[in-house]
Amino acid sequence: MSFTHWHGDMEAQYIYTAGIAGERFFRELKDNGKLVGTRCPKCDITYVPPRMYCEKCFAELDEWKDVPLEGEVVAHTEVHVDIEDNKLAEPFVIGFVRIDGTQGGLVHYIKAPEVRNGMKVKAVLKDDRVGSILDIEHFAP
Amino acid sequence: MEEKIAVVGAGSTKFRPDTSEQNWKELMFEGASKAYTDAGLNPRKDIDSFVTCAEDYWEGFSIYDEFVPDQLGAAMRPTCTVCGDGLHGLAIACMQIMSGMVDVVAVEAHSKISDLNTYNDVVLFAFDPIYNRPLAGHPYYVAGMEMNAFLNGSGNTEEQCAGVVSKNMTNALKNPLAAYGKRVGVGDVMGSEPMFSPAKKLDIAELVDGSVVLVLARAEKAKDIADNPIWITGFGWNSGTPWLEGRTWGRASYAEEAAKMAYKMAGIAEPRSEIGFAEVDDKFSYKELMHLEAVGLAGRGQAGNDLENGRFHADGDLPINASGGSLGCGNLIEASGLHRALEVVLQLRGQAEGRQLNDVERGLAQSWRGVPTASGAAAIFER
Ligand SMILES: [Zn+2]
Repeated sequence: MSFTHWHGDMEAQYIYTAGIAGERFFRELKDNGKLVGTRCPKCDITYVPPRMYCEKCFAELDEWKDVPLEGEVVAHTEVHVDIEDNKLAEPFVIGFVRIDGTQGGLVHYIKAPEVRNGMKVKAVLKDDRVGSILDIEHFAP
Repeated sequence: MEEKIAVVGAGSTKFRPDTSEQNWKELMFEGASKAYTDAGLNPRKDIDSFVTCAEDYWEGFSIYDEFVPDQLGAAMRPTCTVCGDGLHGLAIACMQIMSGMVDVVAVEAHSKISDLNTYNDVVLFAFDPIYNRPLAGHPYYVAGMEMNAFLNGSGNTEEQCAGVVSKNMTNALKNPLAAYGKRVGVGDVMGSEPMFSPAKKLDIAELVDGSVVLVLARAEKAKDIADNPIWITGFGWNSGTPWLEGRTWGRASYAEEAAKMAYKMAGIAEPRSEIGFAEVDDKFSYKELMHLEAVGLAGRGQAGNDLENGRFHADGDLPINASGGSLGCGNLIEASGLHRALEVVLQLRGQAEGRQLNDVERGLAQSWRGVPTASGAAAIFER
């Protein structure tokens, strides 16, 4: 027996603002191929992605710091299914890379013959950048 | 805790993956009716306030709280919705009583997640829109990353996580509410499909529908209402950083802090010797081990060994998830924490039927809001 249902969906579109800190992060990435963070001098924390406030002491942050494209894999997983739970023909690895000299980092795809935690990797940038996290193609050794 | 508060009524639907014949209001009505009957109370006159736990996107409504009152007996009465787990709702209900404004409060949480065709997309919509969402993919990759970091950092193993699945799904065979009771061995889990390695198919709790309701009352009232009041002696809640980029991967800080808050209120200094059993979040197998270490019921890196030594089995020193947990009962979304509270209450009342634990006096319920959150709550119950 099948029961009565009404199919519903929701039209909802957003334009998410990158904000004061995000604007500068994405401009630097797009225009100069660089990563930047903000630093809290009191807590000695460098935030990547940058934030305009410190999570620990709640200070407003205006100290900007160029940070390297290099970092270390802290956590990773090999993904075998897509968002509809279908098996992927090619599994891929996604992970968290702690950017060197910072307390932050980025979640991104990692391409290497074998990914291990602690492995040194570097962001591989696209040539044509638009100001998005996808301007980074992936991280690789 | 100065103001004594008791659970005086408890009710729940069965947990089922498919509830096509019943709509979400009817599901809530069923859970509530059972709890009110259990308490012997008429919600239209005996219950002062109603709290439900829900999130618009799970429910498929804007301003979902408008749709709550009638099925709980709460029309034209003080009602509010908490956008959080059932244990967050329990904390709000306790505080309403502690404030002196009300004497008797009903708290409800449910899952009608089978109504949502695009669960994975809604979970992905909970990610940071600019830094994380553009990477797309199945959102459970965050759990795979966390499992990887936790196992690497703590020394617990994939086989031990598989042991959690085996224990919980087997426990669920004795729970008439559970949807996924099954005799499953470590080998079955290890051999199940890779999903978000190291997480495999059987490491991940399947979704389920259900509604859980508890009725709470202040001490003077509680003694009149119930023969077997179960006392809430402590509760706590906490949120870690929402930034995936700012987390200490492999550590459940939210659970550490929520438990600390609850222990302090309950006057518990040594949880390992003072808590007899617990229901902790196991939406993913590794989460049970991670949470046990976070709430101080196992030493750092020791939860897996303790499990293998039988400590957490139903006949062990510290039974964990005798209900079957989320792995055995199903992932009840925002009702997960309230289900854990319900199980602790039933065990303390001696009403846990075939899965009843012997001589239990005090239990912990602990919750996590699921991927991608770093939020959770905890509560202590005593006989
Ligand atoms: Zn600071």
